[in-house]
Amino acid sequence: MDIEPFMLRAVLTALFLGPLCGFIGVFVTARRMSFFSDTVAHAALAGVALGFWLGLPDPTVPMILFSLVIAGLILWLKERTALLNDTIMALLLSGSVALGMVILSLLKGYRGELDRYLFGDILSVGWGDAALALVVLITVGSVLFWKLNALALLTAHSDLAHVSGVPVRWLNYGFVALLTVTVALSIRLLGIILVTSLVVIPPAAARNLARSLRQQILLSLFLGLIGASGGVILSYPLNLPSGPCITLTLAGLFVLSLLGSRLQRAHQNAS
Amino acid sequence: MDIAFRSQKSAAVEVQDLHVRLGGNPVLRGVNLRIEAGRMVALIGPNGSGKTTLLRCLLGLQKPDSGSVRLLQEGPPGPGILKRMGYVPQRLQLDPSFMLTVREFLAIRRPLTASWFWRPSRQIDALLHEAVGEMDVTRLLDRPVAGLSGGQLQRVLICSSLLNEPELLLLDEPTAGVDTPGEADFYELIAEVHRRRGLTVVLVSHDLSMVYRHASRVYALNGVICCEGAPEEVMNAESLRQAYGIHFTPYQHQHPHSHGSHGH
Repeated sequence: MDIEPFMLRAVLTALFLGPLCGFIGVFVTARRMSFFSDTVAHAALAGVALGFWLGLPDPTVPMILFSLVIAGLILWLKERTALLNDTIMALLLSGSVALGMVILSLLKGYRGELDRYLFGDILSVGWGDAALALVVLITVGSVLFWKLNALALLTAHSDLAHVSGVPVRWLNYGFVALLTVTVALSIRLLGIILVTSLVVIPPAAARNLARSLRQQILLSLFLGLIGASGGVILSYPLNLPSGPCITLTLAGLFVLSLLGSRLQRAHQNAS
Repeated sequence: MDIAFRSQKSAAVEVQDLHVRLGGNPVLRGVNLRIEAGRMVALIGPNGSGKTTLLRCLLGLQKPDSGSVRLLQEGPPGPGILKRMGYVPQRLQLDPSFMLTVREFLAIRRPLTASWFWRPSRQIDALLHEAVGEMDVTRLLDRPVAGLSGGQLQRVLICSSLLNEPELLLLDEPTAGVDTPGEADFYELIAEVHRRRGLTVVLVSHDLSMVYRHASRVYALNGVICCEGAPEEVMNAESLRQAYGIHFTPYQHQHPHSHGSHGH
């Protein structure tokens, strides 16, 4: 069977980013950082617009950089002001989207680009994106495994982590940077609006079936892989944007996990 | 066990003229404290007395404005000294969406089990065997930490802090989430660990009744250490009035007895 090159690039990118989002998502959901993930994703819109404004053919770099700036700003405001987390993130999310829209409105001929960044487009995934996704999978995945104990302890109790010798502040900054890069890169596939679904749904579905953190991480990796690649493959024959297809595939997997968990419980009660 | 001998020889905790201001308000106003090694002591005080701030200073989580903290005869709390200490917080911040089991929680706290992720459970259990048996948490190993009751969690937290063979154990409001019948058992368990291991135990608490029964020395804090001594000395009305303010009515046992059906 012949496979179109653009499809191959998109499926490979999904195979790289799906499990990574599933892995990092276990800690994002447990640390209640879903809204953070959503904020840095929306910040990417301003990065994309800035990239076009600067005349760059590929806005991936400004997209990632602008998301990192907003992530840093969230941490800075959290430490330096009395503002609540939610307030800071809502402020930066709406501010970034507004800035992005204003820049795109001022530029002629880029309004059409908006949809592919909002909802994902497999046609926009280049070989460079696929290679970058592989590099990010290897580096971010390795760091997450290397720092697994420290991250799990930080999730359980930050003071306890500090007393156990974990450099809490640096680990927190590092985690935020890894999450931001992973999310910003996944925007190509899922779009700004839906990208958080790949970070949140796999760990939530895995939690329904898992009995330990080890199982939850492995299942979440697997569900991220199936959801992302399955969604991309479905989007081609259905002629739909890849973002909604991935999100609906993940939602379907979540429903299946709920049914699985019911069956598990019924089986336990019977035995 | 030469607890008495050790206690005459050295101090596990030495705090001198410690001052801390938080948000412009003086919370600690010249705290002086010396806890002898090998003792089980209590640091008591009402809400807002600076207990938590002092505990954070001992753990290196709060930098004092002035004064000094010296732990285990070595120096201020730093990475080297913290390795020789155990800390038991009131509760964890765990979300139920995080499926960390008790076995995994203990494994991540034990430096040797860095590769727990790929090890079979029985290998991890073998490494944890001693502390798990001592705190009687074997049957909890497969349970998610987020689903434990207050009393079970405290056992697991103490068990995890014993994995490093600490010389100094700090417990923050250890019975905050424990039901009343469980409290007595819990303090008995800590006392047993203290006797067996000969380590220094510092209980930070506003609960006077159990402290009275188990601590060998009590320090009452209210911005400064306003009184210290044997429990029966500190628990007299005048000392407590200084620590807790004039309207405080202490809830305490005046005589040693076990809990019966009459309640308190």
